[in-house]
Amino acid sequence: MKILKSILTIFMLISGMTFAQDLSGLDVIQKVYDRPTGNDMTGNLIMTIENSRGNQRVREIKQFVKSVKNGEKKIMFFLSPADVKNTSFMTWSYDDASKSDDQWIYLPALKKVKRISSDSKGDYFMGSDFTYDDLGDRHPMDDTHTILREEVLNGKETIVIESVPKDEEYMYARTVTWVIKDSWIGLKKEFYDEDDDLLKILTVEQEKSFGDVIILTKVKMHNMQKNQFTIMEFSDVQIDKGIQNNKFSERMMKRGI
Amino acid sequence: MKNKSLFLILLMAMGTNLFAQNLEINGYVRSYLGVLTNDTNDYSINQNTLDLKLKRTDDNVSFFANPFIYQTPNQDVTLGLREAYMDVYFDNMDLRIGKQQIIWGKADGMFITDIVSPKDLGEFLLRDFDEIRTGITSLKANYYLGDNTVEMVWIPTFTPTIMPDETSIWSRIPEFPLPITIDESQKEIPGRLENSEGFIKFSGMSSLLDYEIMAGSMWDDDPNLHVSPIIEQGNPQPLGLTLTPKHHQLTLVGGSFSSELGGFILRGEGAYYMGKQFSALNPDQLNLPTSLLEKDYAHYLIGTDFSIGTTRFSTQFIQRAILDYDDLIVQDELDNTMTFLANRTFLQETLTLQLFGYFGLNNEDALIRPSVTYDLADGFEILAGANIFVKNEDSENTGQFGYYDDNDMIYVKMKYSF
Repeated sequence: MKILKSILTIFMLISGMTFAQDLSGLDVIQKVYDRPTGNDMTGNLIMTIENSRGNQRVREIKQFVKSVKNGEKKIMFFLSPADVKNTSFMTWSYDDASKSDDQWIYLPALKKVKRISSDSKGDYFMGSDFTYDDLGDRHPMDDTHTILREEVLNGKETIVIESVPKDEEYMYARTVTWVIKDSWIGLKKEFYDEDDDLLKILTVEQEKSFGDVIILTKVKMHNMQKNQFTIMEFSDVQIDKGIQNNKFSERMMKRGI
Repeated sequence: MKNKSLFLILLMAMGTNLFAQNLEINGYVRSYLGVLTNDTNDYSINQNTLDLKLKRTDDNVSFFANPFIYQTPNQDVTLGLREAYMDVYFDNMDLRIGKQQIIWGKADGMFITDIVSPKDLGEFLLRDFDEIRTGITSLKANYYLGDNTVEMVWIPTFTPTIMPDETSIWSRIPEFPLPITIDESQKEIPGRLENSEGFIKFSGMSSLLDYEIMAGSMWDDDPNLHVSPIIEQGNPQPLGLTLTPKHHQLTLVGGSFSSELGGFILRGEGAYYMGKQFSALNPDQLNLPTSLLEKDYAHYLIGTDFSIGTTRFSTQFIQRAILDYDDLIVQDELDNTMTFLANRTFLQETLTLQLFGYFGLNNEDALIRPSVTYDLADGFEILAGANIFVKNEDSENTGQFGYYDDNDMIYVKMKYSF
């Protein structure tokens, strides 16, 4: 039995090594991109923004996401603070990397749904340290990926991938991602600015399994240059509850949750 | 006063009684002080505001009310109800009944197809967006077909634009070479079925394009001044003029669109108005504007929103064209206006710099509105800004912005939202 276990361990190590060696950087990032996320998901998001002086601001959002033919639809309802309450934000994104997202915002003071440009993906989301692009699923084909090394991080075996954007005008010169081998979760990600200086570090602080779906329930984005950070925490997460398509519409943006 | 007291009691009763019934209470408190920069340094505004938003939602019905209080030192408190309506939700249809603001179109700060709710011009165009429109008592039905919507509005009683008081710095009474008498006997539109207004809109949202197509039968929100000379028997020369404000019916069809092209949001909006009465000079009566000519006119705009770096820009070109123009009409055949907006945030979106302007191209006048907003804490902001009216001294007409050239002001607002 002991011998059998040893053989199995060796076999697993060998197969693991072969597995990693057989994969390209693109393959690994593609696996991260293709990781099951369920057909739909709802959850409450609490975003805590802390500046370099330690002052905190908190935003609460209710979020609905659904996979649809050729892409994904997402709608967010802002619950607090009071001055942004009832604002809603909707995104329709597409599997086709060449097709830009469609985005709309509903501002209750204007009582009007406005289409906004998805070109502003470099803007920071609600004053946080996440850009709109950081929050989306960047398509693997948008970057050139190279495996740098394998490394144990927080007790987990990871593959370290460097991703260099094909678009030279992209907001980051490169990113480096630590991908957990078996679950294909990006455990940590470093973002480098146009001067190739370290700008931000994203770390996963908590994850939760819902069947075969793993949701990152707490992530932290630390802006190293400004010494400020944002923590996003998901709660009341529900997977595959059958959200209706009409949830992602102008009607619901105006009506609210 | 009795009504005001009842109103307050009702409000307080609602606040305490309905708390236990999942009533959402939001709103804001605001202090607003503006100073004219002319020689007088008069306060253009000194106002405290309490604005409450009360909402309760059950399964398929909801209730919303937006009472407000304006308080100005040494003046009566103004109480009002901006909106108060009930919603009923069905699978593919919503009904909204009561006093409500209805906003249509894709334009910013312009009123082309956005003419269902009348305006409150008590402070010209300076009020916040939610305060510049008045609610109207109406029935609104929305029917949903996928990402398309049919919206129908029935307004049983006409509500006109709220104009500034005669004593207000925003009052604008036309100047005549003769003494005038104002006769308001025909200003009211009697509340009866045949005087009601109706609007319909078909709108859609898609990846390629958002669009609206609309039509309406309405009363002109702005009254026309019927000018008639006061003539004494035996004296052909008029002794004065009687001004009789009167609303006329209008019919319009229009539409708007919004789409993204290469990072630019393109917006367009247009409407064709039928039956508008235009003031015209009367050669038989000292060339005074005592005539009204009925003409159709078109009002349209094209605009774009875009970003350069982290600064957002928006600009619009607006034209109003009177068709089958007559040279006696007081207004220009073509009236051109532009708007410009630049907005940038700093310090994790706690500091916002903004520059907004209207530019009248016919008379080379403008209204320029720079402002800076700082969020002291969540929901607590301080805003400082200026309203600068520009007049072309060489122009024959002052234009709608240049007319207020003496009303340049600086102001500060503190607002706490809860």
